[in-house]
Amino acid sequence: MSLSSLLETFEQLAPMLAGGFVTTLQVTVSSLIIAMVLGILVCLMHISHKRVLRGIAKFYIWIIRGTPMLVQAFYIYFAVPQLIQLSTGSSFRIDVFTASLITLSLNAGAYLSEIFRGSIESVDKGQMEASRSLGVSYATSMRKIILPQAVRICLPSLVNQCIITLKDSTILYAIGLGEIMYQAKIYVGRTMESFATYTWVAICFLLITSVLMLISRTVEKRMHA
Amino acid sequence: MRKMANPKIKVVGLKKAFGDLEVLKGIDLEISSGEVVCIIGPSGSGKSTFLRCLNRLEEPTAGEIFVDGESITSNGADVDRVRRHLGMVFQQFNLFPHYTVKQNLMFAPVELKLKTPVEAEKTAIRLLDRVGLGDKVDAKPRELSGGQQQRVAIARALAMEPDIMLFDEPTSALDPEMVSEVLDVMRELAEEGMTMVIVTHEMGFAHDVADRVIFIDDGVIVEQGTPEQVMDHPQSVRTKSFLSKVL
Repeated sequence: MSLSSLLETFEQLAPMLAGGFVTTLQVTVSSLIIAMVLGILVCLMHISHKRVLRGIAKFYIWIIRGTPMLVQAFYIYFAVPQLIQLSTGSSFRIDVFTASLITLSLNAGAYLSEIFRGSIESVDKGQMEASRSLGVSYATSMRKIILPQAVRICLPSLVNQCIITLKDSTILYAIGLGEIMYQAKIYVGRTMESFATYTWVAICFLLITSVLMLISRTVEKRMHA
Repeated sequence: MRKMANPKIKVVGLKKAFGDLEVLKGIDLEISSGEVVCIIGPSGSGKSTFLRCLNRLEEPTAGEIFVDGESITSNGADVDRVRRHLGMVFQQFNLFPHYTVKQNLMFAPVELKLKTPVEAEKTAIRLLDRVGLGDKVDAKPRELSGGQQQRVAIARALAMEPDIMLFDEPTSALDPEMVSEVLDVMRELAEEGMTMVIVTHEMGFAHDVADRVIFIDDGVIVEQGTPEQVMDHPQSVRTKSFLSKVL
């Protein structure tokens, strides 16, 4: 095994890898956008005074945190369609991209909601009191005083969750999503070149995650300046 | 206790419990307009809780509070509106770190549409000048010393043009050399006729500035009167014992 064989493999592998990579990015980016909205909603439910809302948020987070994502993916792709089929009598199928999107969104959404909640709660309690004591409403205090501070606090964890979600998307090869890992497996199945193929897969991920980490570090530095 | 015709603040049978722990066990009090009231007492006696009930940062368990004759504890009371008249200064300053000093003062008046940004800025600069921080209007709170931060916090409360100011141990978090600059600002406010309720451990200041000193211990008012009465000639054993420890 040499550098030249690595490069040789790359030429053959590149088109497949590129295709898989596009799918990886598509599913990751769309999921993260959905998860962001979901995360904010669940976080607001979690800190609300309504017991029912808090209960729903806690239950959702409990399920997601307590089960492996592989199980969640299988559940959404295989189990839920069967349940719908059995209860309605008509056949029901979900396409693999949609199932992947739902899985990744639900998963990241739960973790993001906890990140948001932690950030909001780590803003000094005195900030809300100071704003309220000036006669400003809870909602406005939240929007103008607490959230801007919470965003700064959560940024590093937010980027970290983006990296985790990107990496977790490889699990979706198991339900047949044509992402990078799926393409790599097909290539290895055909050529048996495990070492070269998986090396390139790892390099691809390292490239993006490094860029993300760099961005996060720059943003963090600028915020502390 | 003195009875007043039109008390600025009237507190009737105020109780506050945290779970099983009863912190305030029935407080009755009237404060008249322009009066400076200092509340002293051991830590954990309930004096801060009492102050925080006055603008409902704590919800009283029982009792009623009236400001200008209007109940602020009834169900229909608009807490946000009441709070506009009650400025509050905290032990930990609680300035908004993401705003400049000037923006700290402008935030509430502009947000509540009481002033245009231009008017609010003028008021902010005037108030900051008054507390001796005219050169810090564009600084961020973290660039200021504790004493300066607390003076900004006082100015921020004043920017709402309140007619009552509540102070919750305003100098307790300060380095000793910064205490006097904050007390001086408060003394000026008192001389201008602001109604003030001050929870403090600064006995000298209380003696100087207070019209009335209230000694709270174990959730009740043990003794109250002029500084001379309460601090120089205390009647109760508990007051005597407290004063002997802090003076």
